[in-house]
Amino acid sequence: METHNPFVEEVFHFRGEWGVSSRCGLKIVRLEEKTIILVTEFYDSNPGTSITEWNTHLASEICQKYAIDPKRVIFIEHTPEMSSTLTFYQETFDRVTFKWDGKSFSDPQWERVSKKDIIDLIKLEL
Amino acid sequence: MKFKLIYPRWAKLEGQTIFNLPPHGPVVFAAALPDFVEIDFVDENVQTLNYDESVDFVGISMMLTIQIKRGYEIADEYRKRGIQVIFGGISTMLHAEETLQHADSIFLGEVEGRLEQVIEDFKQNQLQQVYNYLNQEPLDVSIIGPARRDILSHDLYYHKGVQMVDLFHASRGCRFSCYPCAVSFLGGRVFRPRPIEKSIEELETIENNRLFIVDNSLAQDTQWEKDLFKAMIPLKKNWCSHTIENNPEVLDLAAQAGAWYVYQAVFDTSDFIRQRIQRYHDYGISVEGTILLGMDNQTEDDIKRLIDFLLEINLDLAEFTVLTPFPHTKAHDDLKKENRIISYDWDDYNAGKVVFKPKHMSPDRLQELYHHAWNLFYQDETQEQKMFKLIMKVIEKEMNNGTYQSRRRDLVDKSFGKTIER
Repeated sequence: METHNPFVEEVFHFRGEWGVSSRCGLKIVRLEEKTIILVTEFYDSNPGTSITEWNTHLASEICQKYAIDPKRVIFIEHTPEMSSTLTFYQETFDRVTFKWDGKSFSDPQWERVSKKDIIDLIKLEL
Repeated sequence: MKFKLIYPRWAKLEGQTIFNLPPHGPVVFAAALPDFVEIDFVDENVQTLNYDESVDFVGISMMLTIQIKRGYEIADEYRKRGIQVIFGGISTMLHAEETLQHADSIFLGEVEGRLEQVIEDFKQNQLQQVYNYLNQEPLDVSIIGPARRDILSHDLYYHKGVQMVDLFHASRGCRFSCYPCAVSFLGGRVFRPRPIEKSIEELETIENNRLFIVDNSLAQDTQWEKDLFKAMIPLKKNWCSHTIENNPEVLDLAAQAGAWYVYQAVFDTSDFIRQRIQRYHDYGISVEGTILLGMDNQTEDDIKRLIDFLLEINLDLAEFTVLTPFPHTKAHDDLKKENRIISYDWDDYNAGKVVFKPKHMSPDRLQELYHHAWNLFYQDETQEQKMFKLIMKVIEKEMNNGTYQSRRRDLVDKSFGKTIER
């Protein structure tokens, strides 16, 4: 999942809720006006907090570490397909919008978007 | 030092046979307390809590989300009386921020080797607000000692003279990522079996012949399962557990080791499930199907078909639940993202009440189908009758291997400590 996924450039390690050691996939695409942060949930190889649970903190941490302007961020949550007969493990992409108060993100709102939208947005060549 | 350890009560599901098992979390917690601590344990499901009894320090152990509001009430009362309260257990970890508002201290993580410090801090009047071990590597499970079952009032866990199973664990952690489960947040991704000899040593201390092995799933490591079951054969115990690996050699050893019945998830009407159930039966292991209703891939027709299927495959028992978005699960993440959670009243989180908007029907319709599932499955033979059959099966096994203990005559008129009205 981690090495063959075109939406993952690196494994990002973070401390989740109560300092739990956690990891996710990360791809950053810098466009002229905006910077896209795409984080991927690793499920069973993430020992800690999910990207959804921790998205406000995660967005802040990534912005700080990679010198990204929080006001110009497009934040995408990616949950990849798992080998399962259960449909809720199908691949999904959600665009998350936050409130930014100058110090931290809050009040996440999710909007489901298609894989094609994401590919077009980040100009990914598969 | 008197430490009152409390397990808060919860409302049982409507229309279901009531039975109370001796809790596992508190006896594991108690085993990690220093020897000089005098423990007074109260399981509110079978005992009445008396706030006026003398106590130095109170611990509240919470496993289920439906325990937490009652846990908060208890804590608030003790704190009003100037007694300090610490919370621990799975639901404390799942609801930690909220629990902090009702606690002097919360304990997050595994307790072994860590409670001496808590007690020392309490004695020095320096109790910390949070003892957080979630941010550390999971414990080496070889240090887990036998649970302190001596703190239980055993006579309260009998129904009409028949003793309920005792709970036991042979491992911690789980390598699976099941949709409704919070194990990932609880730091349990890595399967950590206790050394077999430690498990056997503990099992030998349990007088009860009937057990519930509460591990998340036994199907984690084939060799471990085989080694554990081989070592258990001489103990002549009978036990229920969650899933056992679908492997003839493992199932054969499990049966020899006393596998009585398993909780097996039935999530579709496939031949795979049909064969899975049949294979357990082939080895003399009964099956209680656990059926989760309200998944996004289930329409009304799917649920009706699933119930018919359960009747066809001769499940010994079935337990229906509705999907419940417990915090720190993928189910919670997904439903929250889609703004589909309709209740955050934790008393509703009993897995029998619909607290979200299902994809293919209204919440009310799912609620009706949940009741319909229970009613239809048990219409020809009640839950109590089916349970009686399981009991008869285990009695037969015990008769054959000479381990049968007859009913306690002094408790035949009691059900979990209360006199039965006849």
